[in-house]
Amino acid sequence: MPKRVIWGAGVLLLVMAAAYASFYVAPTERTMGAIQRIFYFHAASAWAGMTAFLICFVANLQYVLGRKQKWDWIGVSAAEVGLAFTTVVLITGPIWAHPVWGIWWTWDARLTSTFVLWLLYVAYLMLRSMVEEPDRRALLSAIFGIFAFLDVPLVFGAIRWWRTQHPQPVIMGSPGSGLEPTMRKVFFFSVLAMHALMVLLVSERYRLEKLRGEFQELQREAEAG
Amino acid sequence: MKNLDSIFAAYLLGWGVFFVFYLSVARRTAALRGEVERLKASLTKGK
Amino acid sequence: MTLISNAGVLLGKELRTEFRSRELLTTTVVFILMVVVLFSFTFDPSSSESRRFAPGLLWLAFLFAASLMLQPCFLREQANDTLSALRLSVADPFAIFLAKVAANTLFLLLTELLMLPVFSILFNVPVGAVAGRLVLVFFLGSVGVSVTGTALSAISAQARMRELLLPILLLPLLTPVLIASAEATAALLDPSPVFRKDWAGFLAVFDVVFLTALWLFGEYLLEE
Repeated sequence: MPKRVIWGAGVLLLVMAAAYASFYVAPTERTMGAIQRIFYFHAASAWAGMTAFLICFVANLQYVLGRKQKWDWIGVSAAEVGLAFTTVVLITGPIWAHPVWGIWWTWDARLTSTFVLWLLYVAYLMLRSMVEEPDRRALLSAIFGIFAFLDVPLVFGAIRWWRTQHPQPVIMGSPGSGLEPTMRKVFFFSVLAMHALMVLLVSERYRLEKLRGEFQELQREAEAG
Repeated sequence: MKNLDSIFAAYLLGWGVFFVFYLSVARRTAALRGEVERLKASLTKGK
Repeated sequence: MTLISNAGVLLGKELRTEFRSRELLTTTVVFILMVVVLFSFTFDPSSSESRRFAPGLLWLAFLFAASLMLQPCFLREQANDTLSALRLSVADPFAIFLAKVAANTLFLLLTELLMLPVFSILFNVPVGAVAGRLVLVFFLGSVGVSVTGTALSAISAQARMRELLLPILLLPLLTPVLIASAEATAALLDPSPVFRKDWAGFLAVFDVVFLTALWLFGEYLLEE
């Protein structure tokens, strides 16, 4: 059996184990009840997404400095996967909020920052779709990607600061603060599982991009011959 | 369990996103691999 | 230092080009005016409501205006391929960016200052006492908008649908500037005005971060 399938099965098992832990190992939260269990999925996705964007940032730097195609491929793969994880955060957040607070969206600091993060990387992908020539596309999106990632701490910082001056109901609470020890262990296990999933998805997406590169090479050969 | 439907919805939609992403990548990879094989074959034939 | 003197010469060129026709400035001012008037229909223009919404809306209008005003920044150079000439004329390509950033900051600041008395009248918000500190906040914000906007303008000029792409790239990136500038402005327009050193400092940090990023990576944007 090819390595990939084994790896994929391993990630799937890890993820299912984390889900199991979220429901049966972690204790029920006092105030919110069972709905709080979404937290393990929601927050772990957020962390994995952010790591994906960090990978994208490193890939962008590598491309700008070395101009090796593979870094462009890693960059776009990590950005797309990061966007997928961020989308999950934005979907699970309101689903969590609605039963607890009766409203879907609250402009809670972290969720709002995540929304801006999402918009930044959507912009990254849109930029890529607007530049045809592969090398130019790689360079321009790498530089925008660098700017976008540098902006991330500023976005999170500004929004959090702003929110402390105009407080709103804090729904999610902060992970790690007021997390009971068992909860903390389940949380970090979930983070691990989501990161494994992230790496798997990035590598799959990278394979597609690499294949595209191969295809374009062959096309050039065919035209030349 | 209270709010079971919300928990269910969250997990369903969340995992849905990952599945859709994975399936889309897998589909495109398979299609592209087919194209690459075709192109390789026609190139070696030409040579 | 040659970088500064080169930038200075190029800045002169940018300013002369603009002031010959002044079309960029006038259209931008008119645009902001229209946006502000339209915004005013969305809330009850009583004094207390105005104080709450106006600073944010003012800065939103500035951001929209900037994302339009920055379009020609590099497109203009593409038209006659003056960019290659520029690149050859300076040793350090950062001089080109420095000049454009300075010019854009100046243009933005000018339009903002022109808007200030109008804004003050329309929303019954006296600005006389805090004018100096307000200008400082406007300056710090405008530098942030200008640095990122100039960089992104160089990027979008090389892409399709650049008119729509520039705002899409720029506006999320400028979220911190919007928040910090609006908060600082609001604090100064409050009945008991306060100069928010923390937000001003934050803006300064934003400016330094992106000016440094532009310095490090700008030259790659000018590649053929």
